[in-house]
Amino acid sequence: MKKIALLLVFLYSLTYAAEYDPIRGQMLSLSCASCHGTDGKSEAITPYIAGMGKASLYQILLDYKNGKRVETMMQKHSKGFTDEELEQIAYYFSNVER
Amino acid sequence: MMNRRNFNKILLGTTALSFAACNGMTSLSFPADKKRVVIVGGGFGGATAAKYLKKFSPQTEVVLIEQNKEYYTCPFSNTVIAGINDIDFIKHDYKTLESKYKVIVLHEKVKKVDGATNSVILESGKIIPYTKAIVAPGIDFKYEKGYEKGSELLAPHAYKAGTQTELLRKQLENMKDGGTFVMVAPANPFRCPPGPYERISLVAYYLKNHKPNSKIVILDQKNKFSKQGLFQEGWEKLYPDMIEWRSAEFGGKVFSVDPKTKVVTTEDGEVKADVLNYIPEQKAGTLAFDSGLTKGDWCPVNTKTFESKLVKDVYVIGDASIATKMPKSGFSANSQGKIAALQISRVLANQAIINPPKLANTCYSLLSPTYGISVAAVYEAHEDKIISVKGAGGLSPLHAEDSFRMQEAEYAVGWYKNQMSDIFM
Repeated sequence: MKKIALLLVFLYSLTYAAEYDPIRGQMLSLSCASCHGTDGKSEAITPYIAGMGKASLYQILLDYKNGKRVETMMQKHSKGFTDEELEQIAYYFSNVER
Repeated sequence: MMNRRNFNKILLGTTALSFAACNGMTSLSFPADKKRVVIVGGGFGGATAAKYLKKFSPQTEVVLIEQNKEYYTCPFSNTVIAGINDIDFIKHDYKTLESKYKVIVLHEKVKKVDGATNSVILESGKIIPYTKAIVAPGIDFKYEKGYEKGSELLAPHAYKAGTQTELLRKQLENMKDGGTFVMVAPANPFRCPPGPYERISLVAYYLKNHKPNSKIVILDQKNKFSKQGLFQEGWEKLYPDMIEWRSAEFGGKVFSVDPKTKVVTTEDGEVKADVLNYIPEQKAGTLAFDSGLTKGDWCPVNTKTFESKLVKDVYVIGDASIATKMPKSGFSANSQGKIAALQISRVLANQAIINPPKLANTCYSLLSPTYGISVAAVYEAHEDKIISVKGAGGLSPLHAEDSFRMQEAEYAVGWYKNQMSDIFM
């Protein structure tokens, strides 16, 4: 029974996408701007993230968080957010015009 | 000097404004139909809050009062001291905030923020009423142990950037090869915890290349410091035998200083400097004290909004605020400026504040132009405290490859460029 429940949770997590909450998405994105530029529009070596695809940005952030992708800085920040928060951040930047 | 053009802008931008003679002072009458946020202090916190308030709430009138027309950042000022960058590299102004974001910028000196009347009182006697005020006064120094006001002309602290940065640079240039550079590093809490040690690193970089027989002595008022392991590993590798760090416990504790002779008296006797960089103990900027915003040396705030716990409608951000566990850094101030602006914009629109807000900090330090290290953290503001999110953040690794340090040095510059444009452009 427990196994089935876990499986259901797992399957649900595969299909589940958080609903975009623009207010929280914006709030959570604010600290990103310090290194990546206002709204992610970097003018320096730090990657330009404005207008990135939501799915790919979310996956990159998850990969940093889960240690699948390693960099000098990003894993330290991505670990500070829940998956849902990372998804909100991805939504926010994907909605910024490049 | 009153900036008449901008003061008139306030007049034009609001309806039915008039000056009322009030105890011999001129008061700017306050429009009932329009909200005005007055921000005092145009550094990392204040200038950020001004830009972001206009972003979040374009209809709100935002007045930024900053006495200087140009702002020199403490971040990267150590590269100027070391001759890596010119002073213009760290110079910024408020023109874009005015032209692009329609922030009203006044270059004026503020006497106090008066919470009893919701108004900012300028030295000139003029009064600017506000709906909400943000105070970002930065730090001031404690003058003690023989270091007085004026001593900074002989033994620069260079802990507010600008002419002090240039003075320390000049003294370093004039120092003889074989001379001793002495830094007195302050006790906690102080602005930019890794700042003194980045400075030591970059001074060592300069001395190694130009005056290799020189020595550096740090007289520290504490027993450990930020990124200590990383700094000491880097010093060993890049500048062996050049830097001597004395902790408070082992000879660092300073009893007195004579800025004229550059002699520092410690428990272990006298230390004679050729260049003396004396960084005093710190407290919130004077304006915070004059406005009744302090308890002890710093300003207590509601951690979710940064509204003062002592004065209603006044928000304190940046180094002056008590935002533990956030360090007093430019990045922290920038992060706090945005959150305070967001929360104020919501309160002005009769919306609930965002709960809980999240903040962050990242501090890069350069040990040479190609050797960078960092520390980072993510924060969440809870009832009465800001917690560091578990599992997040941390330091650069020890024993990293050269390429790793080089990359962090590049990202340090990347941070600075984007951070400046995030604040001023």
